[in-house]
Amino acid sequence: MDGLATIAFYLGVIAYSAASTLFFLDLARQTAPSPRSAWGPRVLAAGAVLHAVHVVVASLLLKRCPVESLHFALSFSALVAVAAFLLLRRHANLDPMGVLVAPIALTFLVGAQFVGVDLAPEALISRPLLVLHVAANVLGLGIFLVAGAAGLLYLWQERRLRDKRAGGMASRLPSLDALDRATHRLLLSGFPLLTFGVVTGAIFSRELSTFAGAALARTLFGFATWFLLAGVLVLRRLAGVRGRRAAYGTVAGVLCVLVVLVIYVVRPGGPGT
Amino acid sequence: MITVVGLSHKSAPIEVRERFALPADRVPELLRGVVSRPAVGEALLVSTCNRVELVAAPRSGSSLEAVASASREALSALAPSAPENALYALTGGAAVRHLFGVAASLDSLVLGEPQILGQVKEAYEVARKTGTVGSVLHRTLARAIRAAKRVRSGTSIGAGQVSVPSVAVDFARRIFGDLRGRTVLLVGSGEMAETVARSLVSSGSRLLVVGRTPEKVRALAESFGGEPCAWSELALALERADVVITSTSAPGFVIEPVHVASARKKRRGQSQFFIDLAVPRDVNPEVESLDGIFLYNVDDLSRIVSESLLTRGREAAQAFSIIDEEARSFDRWADAEQATPLIVALRERIRAALKFELERSLRGRLRHLGAPEREALDTMVDAAVNRVLHEPTTRLRQAASIGELDTLAFPELSAALEHAFALDAGRSDEAARSERSENGSAPSVPRAGSGDLDAASSDPRAAELDTSLELEPAEDAGAGAGGSR
Repeated sequence: MDGLATIAFYLGVIAYSAASTLFFLDLARQTAPSPRSAWGPRVLAAGAVLHAVHVVVASLLLKRCPVESLHFALSFSALVAVAAFLLLRRHANLDPMGVLVAPIALTFLVGAQFVGVDLAPEALISRPLLVLHVAANVLGLGIFLVAGAAGLLYLWQERRLRDKRAGGMASRLPSLDALDRATHRLLLSGFPLLTFGVVTGAIFSRELSTFAGAALARTLFGFATWFLLAGVLVLRRLAGVRGRRAAYGTVAGVLCVLVVLVIYVVRPGGPGT
Repeated sequence: MITVVGLSHKSAPIEVRERFALPADRVPELLRGVVSRPAVGEALLVSTCNRVELVAAPRSGSSLEAVASASREALSALAPSAPENALYALTGGAAVRHLFGVAASLDSLVLGEPQILGQVKEAYEVARKTGTVGSVLHRTLARAIRAAKRVRSGTSIGAGQVSVPSVAVDFARRIFGDLRGRTVLLVGSGEMAETVARSLVSSGSRLLVVGRTPEKVRALAESFGGEPCAWSELALALERADVVITSTSAPGFVIEPVHVASARKKRRGQSQFFIDLAVPRDVNPEVESLDGIFLYNVDDLSRIVSESLLTRGREAAQAFSIIDEEARSFDRWADAEQATPLIVALRERIRAALKFELERSLRGRLRHLGAPEREALDTMVDAAVNRVLHEPTTRLRQAASIGELDTLAFPELSAALEHAFALDAGRSDEAARSERSENGSAPSVPRAGSGDLDAASSDPRAAELDTSLELEPAEDAGAGAGGSR
């Protein structure tokens, strides 16, 4: 079992690396691109399967539910990001987004190895709620990572169009419209999870009476994320605000999510210390 | 020889060029004004979205510098607020090479683009109808067109052309992705605008056409299977349009930020792509500051096209060598043409002397001859003149072309002949007549190479060239912007 988990891990790393390279080469090549790059998404999907095998086998070996430990939670959120991307690309030609999604998945898969597998201290308080809280956060993080990637690519593509530049990698990026719609759909999907995560997070902080230091910062950034992304969704709905400003809002929101994650990982006594 | 005074995409941005843009119906007036100046004998105007150039030839006795100065004054009057150094002036061989290069599309933003040759022909045709081209411009244009055709057929400069329409469609795809079901609004008309619209419609977009002339709008909409809209419906059409192509001949902006902001609000922030193919521009550039609004004008698209092209160094070098060859050949012809007035005068003098003697004999001892015999004698005199003067004519042209004959310089040879045959007295009379006519009406005595307007029509060789010029309808029927009008 242990060997299987290790093999799956290394093969997953190889597959994600290969997928990253393929997506990059697809963007960088000079010749006209095919409508859909065949190999990048396939290799990425293979990497996701190996990744899933690694998470399941390793968590079985350690007798840990993936959501009970940040190690697996981080790894699992990358898996969610890949799955969200692979699902999304079925509705529009978003393949070039793989150039960000594949390296993100690789980073999270490898990075999780440096995070301990011990139970989080919060697990001691309200176990069923913790499971839901972490599950919501893991799913939300995965979805927001893809939304952030779409927002970044939107800003890149928009910049290139404003600079009136032809050719180069940007000419092979998805259209602005596709990126804008993808970002919106991902935000709509992730927002309820974020809301649940923020509310349950606040409850935990209250139960643990940890409204200070890292916990306070985490809570504040959690709320900041919620307000930013809620603002993006509400302004789009009510005032038709989309495009560049929505992309900036999304990227800022995802950065806040990552800040919350970093604070959680590096907090005193946390899994990353 | 000729002068070229003007500005192009290489010397001035669109903001300056559009100040010099002249509606097609005002070009004849400009040309008539230019040739009414004492120094200018002939003129034509090449006006496209990328250039406004006045090509002119001097009257006899005028210098090229005087013509260039007169041309500069005439063009500057179109845009008094333009910077003083906005116009360049080329004279003599440099002007000829430039004109040949322009016709061959070697001076275009997009090397090898096909529209420019049609636009040069169109410029010639307008000037011809206005009566401002004579033998010099006629010959020069014929050579320029020949050179352009040689470049096109002898090199692959025009191959693999990335066109403005293809770039416009590509950018529309980068904004909207699939263009099926998108709405394209065409404001105004013009060949390039219609080509862009056609490309977008063939990608599955719907078309709305707005214009000031209902019949034209209806016809255009029908030809694309689109929907015609009245000019008053422009604001409503803007709300529906994802891509807006403008190509009107309006002197100012037709679409202002307020219109776009209002449409954007109704469209709930959806992106819009404006393609402004008009010169002067139709869309106020400030609209670009609005989120989700992308505006590309002729310069932007043309620059992108030229950047998109793979290097055509070899073809360009080959094309330039053809232009050089043609220009050198033209120079030789132009040099040889210096001898024409002398040859014509010499021929006339000898013919007149022989005719005078013949007439005297026909009134005296030969009075019994009938009409057929008299006609035969007349023909014989012409043949004798030709035979006697064949060698001197050839040598004179040769001398004019290379500058000397043996050790005798052409001016010396010319002066000696004029003196020997007393041609200088006759030419002085002619110059006096010409001066009188310049003060009054147009010169009445055609002299090849002099740049006089009626020379082309009276010179049998020019008439012969009329057929060789083959002035087909311009490929870009609209004289204006980028072939957009």
